[in-house]
Amino acid sequence: MTDSLGLLGVDQAELDSCVACGLCLPHCPTYRVTGADTHSPRGRIALMRVVDEGIAPLSDEIVESFDSCIQCRACETACPGDVPFGHLLEATKEFVETTQRRAPWWLKLGLRGLTRPRLLRFVSSSLAVAQRLRLVPSRRMGIPERLPVRRRALRPTGDDVWLFTGCVMDAWQRDVHLATKEVVEATGTTVRPTGDAAPCCGALHTHAGLGDDARKLAARVISALDGDNAILVNSAGCGAALKDYGRLLDSDEARAFSERVLDVHEWLADRIDQIEMPDAQARTGGRVAIQDPCHVRHVQGTHMAVRRVLEPFVSELVELDDEGMCCGAGGAFSLVQRQLALDVRDRKTAAIDRAEADVVVSANPGCSMHLAAAGHAVRHPVELIAEALRSR
Amino acid sequence: MRLGRRNRQGGARHDRTDRCVADLVGALGPERVRADGAARHLASADASMFSDGTAGPVCFPDSTEHVQAVMRVAASHDRAVLPRGAGSGLSGGAAPLGDPIVVSTTRMNRVLEVDAEDRVAWVQPGVVNLDLSRQVAPLGLHFAPDPSSQQVCTIGGNVANNSGGPHCLAYGVTSAHVLAVEVVLSSGEAVVLGGLDAEPSGYDLRGAFVGSEGMFGIATKIAVRLTPDPESIKTLLLSFDSVADAAATVGAVIASGLVPAAVEMMDQRCVAAVEDFVQAGYPREAAAVLLIEVDGLSRGVEADTRKVAEIGRAHGGNVRVAADEEERALLWKGRKSAFGAIARVAPDYYLHDTVVPRSKLVEVLKAVYEIVDRHDLVAVNVFHAGDGNLHPLLAYDSRQPGANERVAAAGQEILEVSLAVGGVLSGEHGIGVEKRDFMEFQFTAADLEQQALLRRSFDPHCRLNPGKVLPSAHSCADVASLSASRPDGVWG
Ligand SMILES: Cc1cc2nc3c(=O)[nH]c(=O)nc-3n(C[C@H](O)[C@H](O)[C@H](O)COP(=O)(O)OP(=O)(O)OC[C@H]3O[C@@H](n4cnc5c(N)ncnc54)[C@H](O)[C@@H]3O)c2cc1C
Ligand code: SF4
Ligand code: SF4
Repeated sequence: MTDSLGLLGVDQAELDSCVACGLCLPHCPTYRVTGADTHSPRGRIALMRVVDEGIAPLSDEIVESFDSCIQCRACETACPGDVPFGHLLEATKEFVETTQRRAPWWLKLGLRGLTRPRLLRFVSSSLAVAQRLRLVPSRRMGIPERLPVRRRALRPTGDDVWLFTGCVMDAWQRDVHLATKEVVEATGTTVRPTGDAAPCCGALHTHAGLGDDARKLAARVISALDGDNAILVNSAGCGAALKDYGRLLDSDEARAFSERVLDVHEWLADRIDQIEMPDAQARTGGRVAIQDPCHVRHVQGTHMAVRRVLEPFVSELVELDDEGMCCGAGGAFSLVQRQLALDVRDRKTAAIDRAEADVVVSANPGCSMHLAAAGHAVRHPVELIAEALRSR
Repeated sequence: MRLGRRNRQGGARHDRTDRCVADLVGALGPERVRADGAARHLASADASMFSDGTAGPVCFPDSTEHVQAVMRVAASHDRAVLPRGAGSGLSGGAAPLGDPIVVSTTRMNRVLEVDAEDRVAWVQPGVVNLDLSRQVAPLGLHFAPDPSSQQVCTIGGNVANNSGGPHCLAYGVTSAHVLAVEVVLSSGEAVVLGGLDAEPSGYDLRGAFVGSEGMFGIATKIAVRLTPDPESIKTLLLSFDSVADAAATVGAVIASGLVPAAVEMMDQRCVAAVEDFVQAGYPREAAAVLLIEVDGLSRGVEADTRKVAEIGRAHGGNVRVAADEEERALLWKGRKSAFGAIARVAPDYYLHDTVVPRSKLVEVLKAVYEIVDRHDLVAVNVFHAGDGNLHPLLAYDSRQPGANERVAAAGQEILEVSLAVGGVLSGEHGIGVEKRDFMEFQFTAADLEQQALLRRSFDPHCRLNPGKVLPSAHSCADVASLSASRPDGVWG
């Protein structure tokens, strides 16, 4: 096998590792809702191949096939041949963006804003005020219906571990960070939030094909978080991105950094016996349905840890029957591909309804906002744990 | 048989399809018709390595009426029509010859009606095999045919290929589970073949339709039989130091009068590839493993499990019984991912499918290893040992000079060996284009002429999936309709 680069600049050995068996098809959310081969992983790979080999021009339909991918990477866990679909699509999106500059201006502007925490918090608080005055159509804009006007302070207690706070999540879901800190501290560990020094992980930039921006952000985050203490992450997308810095930057420093990154549940699972358990009455939540964010289940593979950690703190944990199918959020996907995101979400909503759950837990800000906008009560797993700890 | 890298032809093409596309859009609406290069390129191949033609416009009907409308437009433009399910076929059945209008059934994916009492479900053809079983699971029922591709393949594709699966040893292949089919004929007329009564009167046209590989009509509704879940299931993993011991065990199990639900065999190389994917604890050092499943009432299952284990040990086998449902599911996941896991061995594969008498298994396997060695290829064997259905998988890299030719030659020799010991051309993957030119090895000219007559009585103009199954001398107007329209490619 060669790893020569064709027009697309992706590793051809990776492209060729797909034998077109089709076993990934039913796991792909976009193929599931449209039934079109152009919306399937096998189809997307075949189209990468014709572009790579110069057989076909980069037509609108081919670009649409790539852009309609949610990058949930369910096809990767389904693929018996280990085809690295995520890398292939990221490289492809970067090629499309550098040759055709297709990403919408408002998306690029928004993504730049993510790297400026003060501006982001200001815009967010202004939006929150505007919401209270009923000046913005939140649902149509795809933002939470009640953004926080003020945020409680997130103060460091020491240097045992970093808590990665990120961009949107810190502005919109500070409470989740506070809960995470509380739960981690309950194991006798001190926490330092990363705050504005490491403003954004760059996941959304990678997904949009803005590779240079993503690599710059990665370098910035790595230099801000030196030392060798663990970096805990409570957002599935950020965790997956930080763990991938080694590949993204292809340097020993980046690889060493990625080694330090842990999904917070993964970290807690090894220390759960250091926490004093609540008795049965203090357990929270009623019937709690677990919704696995794709970047927890299909990329980091830490979904079982979420169950292990959450189980002792809630009264009843129920599984959805859709085998970890994507909810359609996909970071900025739900803004860029509105209709597809809603169609995919309808399937998730049906699964949640079938589970007759009182509350849904999801360890990713994008998923929880997307699901909340459909009317579900959504919490982060650590929030339920923190509540149970408080009522001990 | 023509092997080649999947569909890489390019080139300009003058579009004689414009008017036809306009009519299709008029009949179905713009959201159900795709005529762009991307959609057509992807509809030009299935999971096999066969591709000679290119798809014309691709239609996504959601009802019988839509399919009828497509047929009428096709007739008025004298265009061929190719039904397509999930495109998981391995014999090129859904890979177009010429430039047919493709009818994708993926949006006809509703389970229309489930009668739990009579254990019958009416489904649309695009329902995925495993989705149906999942949906009726709460009723304690399932759809018995379980191809290894069951998570992706459609019931329509199963019917067209009369597909089998590991559990068809005890329960029978698709044909035994299809009661009736609503079919849209090439005239645009919809007819129902078969019925829900135990013994419908008249000719068994349903039986003729099952296995017709998309050449008799398009199935638009299917009444399938649902099978009650067994009270108890046990899965045994037996490993052996030699393929001969494994094969002898299969013979002895069947000779003992047991009818296991499934008897599957994998050789060492296959086990290695599978184990890399699932980590189910398959023994990498064994020369061959058997996956044997027994099911039924609890007491009988316990006794059968002991009996199979005894026979296995008597042949020098190492026996492990799956302790719980999780372990059982993992073992099956390994078996069912075997073909895909081959991607770990080489970038291309050719999956063969022949049937030999069980007593000849060892002999034929030896010959298979000898043939692939001589052609300098790698073979991985995984198959339904219980009914002698062999699946030698030839792994190769099509970019190596001469590789395609070596694979084709080895494939033909394997077929010849199988036929020489009294076997047949295909167990379950269908004939498609893959085995079309070998039909004469198994059938006489008179046999083939009768088959062609049957085909023409369903589809007088040979409009449906032309050029498949029957060798050219027997396929009526197919040849004419194909040579009239050899397209250059989809990127014009
Ligand atoms: C990994 C893997 C494992 C497999 N394992 C098995 C196995 O264990 N057993 C087995 O038998 N097969 C197996 N197959 C082959 C394949 O999955 C089956 O043949 C399956 O039934 C094809 O279904 P499909 O929906 O993908 O059909 P397609 O490949 O899309 O089409 C197959 C044929 O059916 C026709 N067709 C499709 N829908 C209709 C319709 N509604 N009306 C009329 N004609 C129609 C097409 O024209 C074509 O000729 C395997 C394939 C793969 C890739
Ligand atoms: S990506 Fe994997 S599962 Fe999907 S078609 Fe390719 S080899 Fe098969
Ligand atoms: S990443 Fe998700 S949406 Fe994209 S092809 Fe894979 S399964 Fe489909």
